[in-house]
Amino acid sequence: MREVYIIGVGMTKFGRLPEKTLAELGREAVWNAIRDAGINPKKIQAGYCGNVQGISLWGVFGSGQVVLWEVGIKEIPIMNIENACASGATAFREAWLGVAAGLYDMAVAFGVEKTFVRKGAMIDIGKGFFENRMGNNMPGEFALRAKRHMHEFGTTTEQLAKISVKNHHNGCLNPYSQFQKEFTVEEVINSSMVADPLTVLSSCPNSDGAAAAILTSRSVAKKHCKKPVRIAASVLRTGSHKNDRNLAVFDVELQAAKEAYDMSGYGPEDIDLCECHDPFTIAELMHYEGLGFCKIGEGGRLIDQGEVEIGGRIPFNPGGGLLSNGHPVGASGMRQIVEIVWQLRGEAGRRQVENPRIGLAQIMGGGIEMDVAAEAIHILARD
Amino acid sequence: MLKENQRPIWDGIFKFPSQAGEPVGLLGNKCKSCGKVFFPKRAICSNCFTDNTMTDYELSTKGKIYSYTVVHYQGALEIKSPYAYGFVDLPQDNVRVLSIFAEYDRLEINMDVELSVESLYTDRDNGNEIIGYKFRPLKKSALDTS
Repeated sequence: MREVYIIGVGMTKFGRLPEKTLAELGREAVWNAIRDAGINPKKIQAGYCGNVQGISLWGVFGSGQVVLWEVGIKEIPIMNIENACASGATAFREAWLGVAAGLYDMAVAFGVEKTFVRKGAMIDIGKGFFENRMGNNMPGEFALRAKRHMHEFGTTTEQLAKISVKNHHNGCLNPYSQFQKEFTVEEVINSSMVADPLTVLSSCPNSDGAAAAILTSRSVAKKHCKKPVRIAASVLRTGSHKNDRNLAVFDVELQAAKEAYDMSGYGPEDIDLCECHDPFTIAELMHYEGLGFCKIGEGGRLIDQGEVEIGGRIPFNPGGGLLSNGHPVGASGMRQIVEIVWQLRGEAGRRQVENPRIGLAQIMGGGIEMDVAAEAIHILARD
Repeated sequence: MLKENQRPIWDGIFKFPSQAGEPVGLLGNKCKSCGKVFFPKRAICSNCFTDNTMTDYELSTKGKIYSYTVVHYQGALEIKSPYAYGFVDLPQDNVRVLSIFAEYDRLEINMDVELSVESLYTDRDNGNEIIGYKFRPLKKSALDTS
C-alpha cells in the first residue's frame, strides 16, 4: 500500500441554502478543491461521492456523477457511497484505498447533502427500522446514552451544555459555519427539550452543504503541493450490536481508535486536534473517552477544565463541529477532513490551533439495534 | 387473537394465548444451540451462527429499566408526544428490549416494570387500531397519592 496525500481541499458554506441544488453545492466544493490543489481536472482518475438522501429527498440518482458532470469531469470511474452520517468519510476512505492500492495517482472525494426540507423530514429518517416504529429516533438514541452516562459516571447537564457553548463559540470563528452565534450554558439548558436531557441547543441543526478533497500519490503530491497532508490512518468499522453492551460507551470506537493508532504509529498523546461527530453534546463527550483522551467516564472533566478548547491540551471541533456547522449528512465527514487540512497548513484563521502536526477525524453513522452502523476514523499528518 | 380492525405495530412480535382471557405476550426466539434469546426474532443466530436452530420463545414480562428518555417534540410519528421510551432488561431471559413506557414523569433507571400489550394509536389512513406494547412501572413512588 502506497502513502497517500491530500493536495487540495474545498467546501461550501453550510446552512439553509434553498437557492442551491445538490449538484451545484457539490460542484462548488469540488471546484474549490481543484483550484486549491492547482491541478488540471483532467488528471483526476476516480471520483467518490458521499450522499445519503439525494434519492429520497431530491430524486437524484448517481449524485456523484451528476456533481462531476457539473464540474465537467466524465469517463472516469465514479461511485456513490451511503454509510449514513459516515458517508463522506467512507467516500474519502474509498478514494484513499484506490490511490494507496496503486490503481490511481489522483482521485477526488466529496460529500454533499441538502437536508432542509419539510419539518420533521430528518427526524423521520429510518422509518423502516423496528425500533423507530416503537418510538425511537436519533435524538432519543443519544438521550438514552446521555441518561446512562449520567447514571454511571455522574456526568451533568452543565457539562453537556458547555460542549454546545464551546462549539458554537468556535463556529463564530469559522466563516463556513451555519451558526454564527454564541450561547451561554443557561441558554443551552433552557432551550426547548427535544429528548430529555437533550435540548434544541444540545442538538445539531439540519443543513445544506458540500466538502471535497483531492488525493494523490506521494510523487504527484511532491510535484504539485507545498504543504501536502499525509493520510496516516484510515479505519472503518461496524458496531458489535451486542444486546447487552454498555450504552454509555462507544465500544466500536475503542476498537476503531486502536486500529487507527496502530496503523499510524501515533497515540492519543500525539494528536494535536480532533474533529469528531457531535450531532448531540453527549456524543462529543463520549468521544473524548472512546478515542482515548481520558478514561471512560471522565469526559466531563475535560470540558470542565477547558482541555478541549482551541487553546487547550486537545482541541475538539475547533471548526465548530456539527453543532454549529449543521449536519448535511453526507458532507460532514468531508468537512472534518477539510478543517483538519486547513488547521495543519496553518490556514484556519481565527480558529487556528497552535502549530498542529497531527489531526484526527472521527465520525459515526447508524444504526441497527441502536448500535453504530459505520464508524470511520482518519488520522492526517503534516510531515 | 387480534380483532378485525387491529394490526400489530410490527409483524411477528406477539404470542397470542391458546386460552381466551390469558394475556398476550412478546414473542422472540431462542437459539437451541447456544441459548441466546433475541427480540424481535432473528432468522440466524448472530451469536453462534449454527444453522436452523432458532425456536420461538415467549419473553418473561417483568424487568428493570436500563435507560429511558422522554421525547418532547412531535415528529410525523403517530405516537403522541410527550412519551417515554427506552430499554428494559429482562433478567430471566438475559435479553434487553426496546419499549415505550406507560408513564413519562416518574421514571428511574433500575425501576421495576412489567409488560402491558395495548393499543398505541389509530392509523389515520384506515382507522385500524395499532397494537403495540409498553412497560409500566410496578411500584408507586412515595409522592403518588392516588
